[in-house]
Amino acid sequence: MNNASPDNREGVRFFGTVSASVSHEVKNVLAVVNEAAGLLEDFTVMAERGMPIDPARLKRAAQSIQGQVRRGDTIIKNMNAFAHSADAPEAGEDHETDLAETLRLAVNLFTRMADMRQVSLALGEVTPAMSRASGFDVIHLLHGVIGAAFAAMSAGDALTVSLTGRDKGATFTLSVPGRSVAPPGDAEFTALARRLGASAETDENGALAVTLAR
Amino acid sequence: MTEKVLLIDDEVDFLENLSERMRVRGMDVSTAQTTDNAIDAVESAEYDAIVLDLQMPGMNGIDMLKVIKERHPEMQVILLTGQATLEAGIEAMKLGAMDFMEKPADINSLTEKIKKAQAKKMLIVEKKAEGKVKDILASKGW
Repeated sequence: MNNASPDNREGVRFFGTVSASVSHEVKNVLAVVNEAAGLLEDFTVMAERGMPIDPARLKRAAQSIQGQVRRGDTIIKNMNAFAHSADAPEAGEDHETDLAETLRLAVNLFTRMADMRQVSLALGEVTPAMSRASGFDVIHLLHGVIGAAFAAMSAGDALTVSLTGRDKGATFTLSVPGRSVAPPGDAEFTALARRLGASAETDENGALAVTLAR
Repeated sequence: MTEKVLLIDDEVDFLENLSERMRVRGMDVSTAQTTDNAIDAVESAEYDAIVLDLQMPGMNGIDMLKVIKERHPEMQVILLTGQATLEAGIEAMKLGAMDFMEKPADINSLTEKIKKAQAKKMLIVEKKAEGKVKDILASKGW
């Protein structure tokens, strides 16, 4: 790792940040499943001792497990898609990233980050757009702008990210009602944006437009 | 003696399932899903133990622990976390947490810790009362 280029190091660090957040979510799912399964076990012991058990309580515990399995499945699917976003293109393949899908994935991955800050993150209007940038880099870029927007938001604020496809690229627009969204000022974001040929500036309505060349 | 417990976690299903399991074990359980509700609960009632999630929206468990210990130093807090790192555990214990457990937690270990918390709190309250009696006796000159 010490021999990795700065770009690679930042990328690995970002991958670690997302993995840590996802693993925390998975632990929460397991914790709920553990308590629901334990509750079913408690009910079984009570029934063995001749205590009457309301079937509705059993049903609630079973439904809780089923709900958490669905939640865990979604979390793992998102993590899997994120892991594959770093795949190298096949030799000779003309690689293109579907930015609409990538934005959806980013919003799913960063929703927990929003929840922790007591703000909301939603997908706005999305039109089809493709880019030659890797999916991983696009998610990393979005993490930079979304994270900076969160840092300037207060509890209850709502961030919407929309995507507009253009002939020579695409624009992600980040808007928060009643607030101006500024681009991140850190060196990591600046270097990544430069490498991707992306620009970020706040428009006259206070929304942040992040434009990515195709 | 029934243990009076406050369970703080933002996961609704976790709160419902764990609190029901604790009630099955004879505990008197209250729950709070937000840090604001938790602070209200701590201010309005006495608890033998507080079981607190380390990662809560708005205020993390460590900050919440500081608030609880500043206002009620005798309160026994058991922290629950998805990722129990040694550093976080040490920080929590330094700030006065009684114990630190990783999720998913074993109900028997948690129950044992809650019973220990109750005993510890009773001891603190008894010592406090003893101190007050001594002060009164000293001030009255009996």
